[in-house]
Amino acid sequence: MMIFSERINGMYRDVRTAIAERDPTVIHDLLKVQLAGGADVIDINIGPTKGDAVGNFLWLAQTISQVCDKPLSVDSAKANLLLEVVPAVRRALPDTPLVINSCTAAADYMDKLVPLAVENGAGMIGLTMDQEGVPGNVEKRVECGATFLMRALEAGLPVENIYLDPIILPIHAAPKQQMNAVEAIRQLAMVSDPPPQFIIGLSNVSQKCPLHELLNRTFLVMCMAAGLTAAILDAADHDMIDALITAEVLLGKQLYSDDYLKAWKMQKGLA
Amino acid sequence: MIVPDAKEKWSGRVNTVSIGATRAEGGTRGRTVTIGGGSGIPLLGFDGEMPHPPAIALDVVDTPPVDWPQPLAEIYGDVWSDPAAWARRVKELGADLVNLRLAGTHPDGGDRTPQQAVETVRAVLAAVDLPLIIWGCDVPAKDREVMPKVAEAARGENCLLGAATEGEYRTLAAAAQAYGHKLITLAPCDINKSKQVNILVSDTGFPLADVVIYPTTAALGYGMEYVYSILERGRLAALGGDRLMAQPVILDVGYEAWRSKEARSGDEAADAWGPAAARGPAWEAVTATDYLQAGADLLVLRHTKAVEVVRRVIQELFTAAAAAR
Repeated sequence: MMIFSERINGMYRDVRTAIAERDPTVIHDLLKVQLAGGADVIDINIGPTKGDAVGNFLWLAQTISQVCDKPLSVDSAKANLLLEVVPAVRRALPDTPLVINSCTAAADYMDKLVPLAVENGAGMIGLTMDQEGVPGNVEKRVECGATFLMRALEAGLPVENIYLDPIILPIHAAPKQQMNAVEAIRQLAMVSDPPPQFIIGLSNVSQKCPLHELLNRTFLVMCMAAGLTAAILDAADHDMIDALITAEVLLGKQLYSDDYLKAWKMQKGLA
Repeated sequence: MIVPDAKEKWSGRVNTVSIGATRAEGGTRGRTVTIGGGSGIPLLGFDGEMPHPPAIALDVVDTPPVDWPQPLAEIYGDVWSDPAAWARRVKELGADLVNLRLAGTHPDGGDRTPQQAVETVRAVLAAVDLPLIIWGCDVPAKDREVMPKVAEAARGENCLLGAATEGEYRTLAAAAQAYGHKLITLAPCDINKSKQVNILVSDTGFPLADVVIYPTTAALGYGMEYVYSILERGRLAALGGDRLMAQPVILDVGYEAWRSKEARSGDEAADAWGPAAARGPAWEAVTATDYLQAGADLLVLRHTKAVEVVRRVIQELFTAAAAAR
């Protein structure tokens, strides 16, 4: 499983303030905790910050690169902003692998962002939705996911750099959509051989729920059983990371040993 | 029809481990032996390379064996009361390494002292310039006394010491690390325990790059397929990037093959079984060559005819195949 850290996000007040005040310490401290928890990729999202959006993204990327050389996932729903930010980050950090988060299967989005990914050697997260919004069923998710996958493959993106996101909605708001997303992963995993990556924004499932940690880790394991290969999550949630490792063992992705939690951490250089 | 490309994309490979140290490396061996390095499924040339062909070690015991059958007595009987002479014999017979068993230190098998074990090791080191594998007697309390002394006496020679287990690993790992030797980790026919022992050994600070895995061995007809499948699973885990399973593998084929009744029985056993002189070596050779296909890196053998066969198979399947690519 590829762990995308969700924590460097302007939706969090501490990150938002750090961006506004250009305070690297806050970002560095958060980052160290995420790396110690096992983060493989750092998702960066400026959230509702004020001022120069490109400059804010660039500051975040450079601030992170002072601590680690992990791949960055440039997170924005605004395609036009990504068109500016991704080349700017690429110029500033020529050797850092990038993932564009995200694109939809709507033609105008793909027309802009797929070439952007190719030109900048970036991976891409494709949402299983189009101009009509988030599908309420499995079929439309699979259709959108397949559309995006084919377009990205035709453009020459390596399959391992293509992530499909079946879109996770909160359990209290849309209680049938969780299993629709799980089933969409299962079906899309059969569309191509080798399959692309599958990713979810995990904490969406538990928004405004008091038992959010339990919901998160339970849903993560369910998605992993269907074929999930990556997730945007809080790597500081140790119970969740332990559940993730355990699921990898039970799915046959890691060889069991009595100290399998430690073995996973040793392999990542964390123990 | 298009033939599908069966080549896998592996993220890991088997570690390479070198045993023995020349004068330039601080020892007195004539050469070193390097094993491992496989980057694909064994013997699938398109899948990956096997840069180091499997190596053969021949047994030397520190005390005259009481249970070696006639075909082995014919080869070693005149030297087996003298480990140094026995070591010279196995070098003449083409061994890559000497596999020295300190069985005579067993409390019920002679109870030789740590000092006597040290003398044996020194004598063997002086007699031949081959790299050494050294095993204790498998009684933890005694091995804790003997092996650190032996490790110290062989300091600088980069021997391979056996064997650390889940219940008994600290002393041997510490001795190997202190005196610059490689280490065998043993988990009998249990791949999960095998990984566990490597975690424990690594926790002591011993480098996993200096470990060789011993999953025990089973002879043809005595559960060979279980160990074979453990080798397969271990290799797949290593190729999949599991660094705790990326160690090369040693198998004790001679010992196990010559425990089988098919190898031990004399000519009287059964007409259909054929003469004992051919049967035992065949049992050993077939067991060994099967394991080569599962990816064994280091084979401990006994009979000269088995060595001949295994050498030929290694030459044809590994060395020649590598040269042809």
